Amino acid sequence: MNVNDYQNEFDKILSRKYFPERLINSRKKAFSKFLDIGIPSRKWEDWRHTDLSFLNKNDFRISETNDLSKNIDIAKYKIKNTYTLIIINGHYVEDISDAPKELKVLSNLEYLEQNNWEQKKKKDTPFDLLNTSLCDSGMSFIIGPDTHIDKPVHILFICSGDENLIINPQINIDINRSSSATIIEQYASEVSSFFQNNCVFASIKENASLNHLRIFSNANKTINISSSYIDQSDDSNYQYFQFVDSGALQRSDIYNTLKGINSTCSLSGITLLDDNKHSATYITTDHIMPNCTSFQNFKSVLNNKSSGVFNGRTIVREDSQKTNSKQSNKNLLLSDKATMNSNPQLEIYADDVKCAHGSTTGALDKEALFYMQSRGIDRESASSLLIRGFVNELMEEIDNKDLRDHLFTKFNNWLIKNKK
Amino acid sequence: MLEINNLHVEVENKEILSGIDLKIKAGEMHAIMGLNGSGKSTLSNAITGRDNYNVTKGDIIYKNESILEMEPNERALAGIFMSFQYPTVIPGVNNTYFLRAAVNAKKKYMGEKEYDAASFLKFVKSKLKEVEMDTKYLKRAVNEGFSGGEKKRNEMLQLLCLEPEFAIMDETDSGLDIDALKIISKGINKYKNSSRSFLVITHYQRLLKYIEPDIVHVLIDGKIVKSGGKDLALELEEKGYSWLES
Repeated sequence: MNVNDYQNEFDKILSRKYFPERLINSRKKAFSKFLDIGIPSRKWEDWRHTDLSFLNKNDFRISETNDLSKNIDIAKYKIKNTYTLIIINGHYVEDISDAPKELKVLSNLEYLEQNNWEQKKKKDTPFDLLNTSLCDSGMSFIIGPDTHIDKPVHILFICSGDENLIINPQINIDINRSSSATIIEQYASEVSSFFQNNCVFASIKENASLNHLRIFSNANKTINISSSYIDQSDDSNYQYFQFVDSGALQRSDIYNTLKGINSTCSLSGITLLDDNKHSATYITTDHIMPNCTSFQNFKSVLNNKSSGVFNGRTIVREDSQKTNSKQSNKNLLLSDKATMNSNPQLEIYADDVKCAHGSTTGALDKEALFYMQSRGIDRESASSLLIRGFVNELMEEIDNKDLRDHLFTKFNNWLIKNKK
Repeated sequence: MLEINNLHVEVENKEILSGIDLKIKAGEMHAIMGLNGSGKSTLSNAITGRDNYNVTKGDIIYKNESILEMEPNERALAGIFMSFQYPTVIPGVNNTYFLRAAVNAKKKYMGEKEYDAASFLKFVKSKLKEVEMDTKYLKRAVNEGFSGGEKKRNEMLQLLCLEPEFAIMDETDSGLDIDALKIISKGINKYKNSSRSFLVITHYQRLLKYIEPDIVHVLIDGKIVKSGGKDLALELEEKGYSWLES
């Protein structure tokens, strides 16, 4: 896609008359800034390890109403004992969704109207700007105070219709005071190729708790770029688990800000890569207030010529005394040609804190393989056991059995495809 | 049962074993004694087929067949077992799950019905008692957080579950307290019968107080320099190894 292609899509958005003037202005500003800075190249520090040529070589267009197909077999994506909310090409399809009554579902225009048209602040990376410019969709999910949602809410993002759609939804999740919920974001596609570029905002208020599971399970030629902005108030708790098992190019940028005292966040994830796939996870955990705890624990298994990046940054600011922070990144390379770039970073400006980080990357343990073989287990099964053991530590942390089983099924399928 | 003929083994292009001859019949217990670096562990690794232990000359015959071309797991299924000197820790792999995979691989090889999770648990619990291990070890990852003695008992547990016909006990007594040593020795003595053989590798005579070898071999610089009855072990304890060095 070149500049003209992006311009064409932007003009199409402008011609859609249902947006208020003030949004059009901010769109124009964002798009002009996007044109100024352009798509990242590998000369950019944060994009050094990510090859975007797949994006540059393909053309994408924004979706039209007639791309929306309702003849999708939703059943195959469903997870047991969850509420399922369906978003096709970025648009919420209410009649095939079953939202719990405690969850208020608003369109983004309704949400903005309720919030005095105040737009959420982004980092203005090229993809953020593109999201602001081309966003035609998205939803807001609000849970009122003192509310607990009994089952996980499964938000299913499906791309259907044309092969070359670019979809730019913005998702807002507000968990109000003393409330709790489990929200699963799952990205899947009915077509072999598309480009999803989304922004997710989660606001977790005082004493509230959000358990956030995100599954990137796309067709092989998809690009999935997402920025997440998580703001936490006092005594709040945020648990994030990311599972990646497909897609050509996947990148998550997560900005997690601990704005309230005594808040906790735990971010973890498993990435399974094969062929030429690429996955990059960039995290910034920002400790602003004292007595907060943050964990980052990510693992990748890489086969063939796949490549991955883990860039975890934890900032402990001057006032955030008594911070407890831990970063861990472990990677298993199943092939000589797979590469992983791991970069856990701590920036500490307070003096009474406990912080640790660590990173390991290596092949399957030969000693362990021999040990298992010496007990009669063939090499292939021994490798599978080791890979399973490697991811188990994180999988076991998922409390909900249905969700854990769902991910284990995906993991098993990946393992069968990638036998060693 | 096991016949080793003129075995030469190289590790990283350095010859460690220089012509070993050894014949172990069904029901026999042999002990190999020697100082550190004499080649004892190389011998057990060559028998079990570990990578990078290259047999440059000679042969290892097990049940009348050469095993040199066999994978380590094929040797194990044929009935060869080694209790490791340093059992490997395998994080994330549950001990019971691992044991069941091993036992079921053997069951499959023998054409027998494999264990499901429940029936295996019953089976393994009966074996646990014999090595006086707590059931909590079944829930942990393989050898993770096990003390030296617990690891060796876990090796013994695996032996009892897999029922090999030929077992190598590589430095089983090193790092064991006397109670654990007694438990393991008792296990070995109980397991041994007229169709099962043992090769016990040690550099202490202590273990041989509890298990009585039929034949003791002395290994020095990759060669068996002397073989004899169990009295040879006592003689070594008294006089050391220097009188055997040429």
